[in-house]
This record gives sequence, structure tokens and C-alpha cells, in this order.
Amino acid sequence: MGKKTDISAGIAAGGEYKEGFVTQVEQDFVPKGLSEDIIRTISARKGEPQWLLDFRLDAFRRWQKMTPPTWGHLQLPEIDFQDIIYYAAPKRDEDRPTEIDPALLETFDKLGIPLHEREVLAGVKPKSNVAVDAVFDSVSVATTFRKTLSEKGIIFCSFSEAVREHPDLVRRYLASVVPAGDNFYAALNSAVFSDGSFCYIPKGVKCPMDLSSYFRINASGTGQFERTLIVADEGSSLSYMEGCTAPMRDEHQLHAAVVEIIVEAGADVRYSTVQNWYPGDAEGRGGILNLVTKRGICRGEGSHLSWTQVETGSAITWKYPSTILKGDNSSSEFYSVAMTGNFQQADTGTKMIHLGKNTRSRIISKGISAGHSQNSYRGLVHIGPGADSARNYSQCDSLLIGSDCGAHTFPVIRSANPTATVEHEATTSKISEQQLFYCNQRGIPPEDAVALIIGGYAREVLQRLPMEFAVEAQKLLALSLEGAVG
Amino acid sequence: MDSLFVIGQDAVPGRFEALPGEPLRLTFVVLPGTSCAVETEILLARRGCEVDIAGLYLCDGDDRFSLKLNLRHDAGECRSRQLFKGMASGRSRALFDGRVYVGHGAQKTSALQENHSLLLSADALVESRPQLEIYADDVECSHGATVGSLDAQQQFYMQSRGIPREEAQRLQKISFLSPVLDRLPEALVNEVMACL
Repeated sequence: MGKKTDISAGIAAGGEYKEGFVTQVEQDFVPKGLSEDIIRTISARKGEPQWLLDFRLDAFRRWQKMTPPTWGHLQLPEIDFQDIIYYAAPKRDEDRPTEIDPALLETFDKLGIPLHEREVLAGVKPKSNVAVDAVFDSVSVATTFRKTLSEKGIIFCSFSEAVREHPDLVRRYLASVVPAGDNFYAALNSAVFSDGSFCYIPKGVKCPMDLSSYFRINASGTGQFERTLIVADEGSSLSYMEGCTAPMRDEHQLHAAVVEIIVEAGADVRYSTVQNWYPGDAEGRGGILNLVTKRGICRGEGSHLSWTQVETGSAITWKYPSTILKGDNSSSEFYSVAMTGNFQQADTGTKMIHLGKNTRSRIISKGISAGHSQNSYRGLVHIGPGADSARNYSQCDSLLIGSDCGAHTFPVIRSANPTATVEHEATTSKISEQQLFYCNQRGIPPEDAVALIIGGYAREVLQRLPMEFAVEAQKLLALSLEGAVG
Repeated sequence: MDSLFVIGQDAVPGRFEALPGEPLRLTFVVLPGTSCAVETEILLARRGCEVDIAGLYLCDGDDRFSLKLNLRHDAGECRSRQLFKGMASGRSRALFDGRVYVGHGAQKTSALQENHSLLLSADALVESRPQLEIYADDVECSHGATVGSLDAQQQFYMQSRGIPREEAQRLQKISFLSPVLDRLPEALVNEVMACL
């Protein structure tokens, strides 16, 4: 009897959130709380140069004077910033720092990330032709395919390593898109960021494989504050993927990341995210507070940046991947699917700031809300006085499943150039009864039918994702929908 | 009820309430030389109400105009339509901030909101904030917003048929405003036309 209960509990947990396991790894913490001393400790532990410590302290001093933003359509629980551990690292054997802890490896295996280059190269897991930088709590544990990439002159490593090996590059680009005092959470990140990924693609180089960062929060009571910096030099191209998971816990955990992307003339960057942080349980307890600042700049002529995101996780999502279109003829796209269920809240969208001539942007946002969730699209399209012949098209659709959820659209369109054209449209509705009836009548059960219809509804976004991610995203959407129909 | 408000001349109540079986029809007109901030709320608190709102705003010179419209669907089976057309020239600033709120339980709501603007000078600024806030699932709500300028191809077509450029532009503006102009009395239509 006892055994049977265990199995059913396992199935239930697996069905709800299969990444909800905790890895038993010995971890190295700094004490709880936030102060200049803590920041000095983090910086010292990472062996950082003085300029970076100064940057952190400056950000911290700014942050102390700031208040959390309240304009989001969100009910944020009060966050006690002194009750968070700002740095947690899996302990490493001093003598063998390159060896990955077997328990860690197992974690990433469970998540389906092949960290072992040897295995990949030996063809054991041939499906993956992706270089991965895996970040576990606060530190980057492994970066794969280093050799292949460095032959092309591509730098892809953990942020800490980049600070050591390429300080000039980091110093030149760090905070050039998201300044330290940009907003409350970005300032917090600038003060305490622990690790993240750094990527530099030299002039004219097409990155031969997709690059990927994998983030996982493991330790209890910690926050994750990673920082990603991507620089695509003139004429280069890159496809970058980001994925995230966390264990199931009753408490809220804070994730405040910053992503900065610099796209030089003629370069092309595609940034894809599948966000699957723990969303909290069915009663809305626990879950990740995902408060993220992502911004890219199309600096040079003809540069291009594309954001694709699939958001299914997190108790609260506050995230607006934005593009500053500075270079003439530059273009940007934002494709998003945000799915919320139970008591999840999402306030997400994009900002397209048109400054250069002939700049073009396109926004496609698909929101799906079920259960008691609240799902908002919030966006800004800004056409500056110099953005001659700029063009924007936005489409934001919302789908409601059940009568207790909410779907909202809050766009702002601002134009100061008479030669620019901006178009925005939004619709809100529920799944058509007719479509459902049609499927049912052909023997497709209601839940599968809904998954099918949602798949079609989100198709325009999903097909933008790199192959492997698209499969994962589709599964995630179907999984998140379970129990939402009835 | 069918009411027309010329902003700057007629006072706009802070609140309207629609009644079932009595369609509420409101029209707002803003002529050049009007600087003000108008804010009003339209309530659909009983089942089966119908609301039809339209407006046009012509901003020129140093005009600062903002319209904040809060339309609340608190009861189900109501229908609302909004159409706002704006033109900004000179150094003017025009802001449209329209919210459609559909409360929990306001099922079978149909709400449509449109805001189209023409930006006619490099020193003018147009801002549009069409917002949907929806807490009921069996609804059909949509909004659309555009900001642009007079289509050069249409102008070329007319010019190639002997219509002078200025006259062509005037015709374009009239056609842009015509869905709202149709609702106005002739004297006011003439007044609007004289400003184009």
C-alpha cells in the first residue's frame, strides 16, 4: 500500500512539473542578506578586478535609492531582500576544478542536456549540435564545444571566465545597453550578479552551431542573478537559446537576470527563450518570481535582432525583451507565447525603440490564460523624430480558457515622425466551440483537442524556434494545459 | 440618447451610464486651437446595453489634447463600439488613452475599439494607448490602432488625373474623417472642413 502511494505521488509530481527535483550537491554559500560587505565577499570569492567591484558597488548604491516598480498588472508578494542568499555555488574539488560533480551531471541528464562532449562527439546523443553553457545556481558549471568555437574565434564562456580572460571586451560592453541604474531589478542584478554567459562573435563569422545557456536554481532560499552579454560584431550571425528550470518549493524564489545584446552593422542575432521556471502549486504557493531585464541594441546599419520566447513557467513574470533600433535599416522582431495557468501572473511584452531611418519591427504576441491566472501584454512602440520611414506592425492575441482568468493588453504607441507607419491590433476571445466540437466529433478527446487548437494558435511563434526548442515548447504547452480544460 | 460634444465648448460629464433598450450614442469633436485633457467613464452595468462612441480630433499649432476614456462592461450581453480619428500637425500633441474593461462574469460581451491617427508634421507627436482589460472568457474584444501619414500613392493617382496636390491632400483627409463626419450636423461638418 505504502509503495503504491509513493508511485502515484511520483506520477502526480511528474505530471505537474517534471523538473521539480532537488540535487544533493554540497554547496558553498555566502550568508543571507545584502550589504556592501556581501558584495565585496561575492566579488572577492570570484577573484574579480577592482573595476568590477566598483561597478557592483555603484549599482548597489543606486539600488538602495530606488523603489520596486508597481506599474505592472501584477500582485507581487513583498520581497524581503535581506532574506535571500545572493551567492550559492556547488562546491568544487580544489585539485580537480574541471571535473564535473557526478550528481550535477545527473541533474543535467535528467533535464536532457548533454553536457558530455565526448558522448555527443561519440554519437551517443547525436541529436544535439548545440554548445551549452550551464549555470547552476550562481556559477557556470560547464561550457561545451569550446574548441570548435575557438577555432572560429568565437568566445563563449561563463561570465566570470570572460572577466578573467577578456576583461577589455567585458568592460567595453558591460552595461552599455542596460545601465546599472536602469530599473530596480536591473540595479540589483548589477550589484550582485553571480555568473552567466558571455559570447562574442568576431567580424564576419557565422556561428556554426546554436549556442545555449541553461539556468537552474537548485539551492533553497537563494536567488539567481545571472547576466548574459552577447556581442555580435559586424557581419556576424548567431542563434542563441536560453532555458531555465527550478525545483519545487513552497517559498517564492527570486530570479532577476539581465541580458544585453549588442548587434553591430550587418550582424544577425536570434535569441530564443523557453522559460519553464517552477510556477508554484495549484493553490498559488511558491514559484519563481521572474523579474528580468532583456534588451538589445541594433547599433549598426542593417543589423537584425529577433526575440522569440515561450513563457510557461514562473509564478510571476515581469519581462520585456526590447530592441533599440539605432542603426539605419536595422530591424527587429518579437515573437512570444505566454501561457499562464493556476494562479500564475504574467506581465510581458516588448519595447521597440525606433531611432534610425528605415527601421522595421514586428511584434507577434500570443497569450493564453487558464485557471485563475492573469496574463498581460504590455508594449511600447516608439518612433523617434529621426526614424524616417520607420515601420511597425504589432499583433497581440489573447485566448481565455475558463471564466476566472484574465487577459489584458496594454500597448503604447508613440510617433514623432510623419513618415513612419505604425499598426497595432489585438483580439481577445475563447477557443471556438465549433472547432472543439469538430475535433470531439472525430474522436479527439477534449484535452487533446485544446492542445491541438493551442498548437495551431501559437504556431506562428513556435515555428520561429530552433528545431529542438520547438519540440520542447510544444510539449510544455500541452503539459501546462493539463487540467485546464473541463 | 444621442449626444454631441464639441470639446472646449460643451462640458463633458465625467460619467455616462447606458440603459438597456436605449442605445447610447456619443460623438466628440475637437477643433484646432483646443488644449485640454478630457476624462470620462462609460458604464455598461446592466444586461443588453449598447454603446456607440465616435470622435475626431484635429490638433494644430501648440495644441495639447488628451482624451482618456474608460469604458466598463460590468454586465454581460452588452455591445460597445468606439472609433476615434485624430490628426496632429504643427507642434501639437495628441494623446488617446482608451481602456475597455470587461468585468468578471460579463459574458457575451462584444467590444470593439479603433483609434487611427495621422501625423502631419515633423514637430507633432501622436500617442495612442488602446487597452483591453478582460476578466471574462466568453467575449469578443478587439482593438486596433494605427499611426501614419497621407498615402503618397493616392496623392500621385489624383495628381496624375489633374487634381492639385493640396486638393488631393484635402480629399484624403476628408475621406479619413468621413466615418465620424457622417455623424455630425452640416454646420459642424462645414466647420471641420474649413480647418482641413
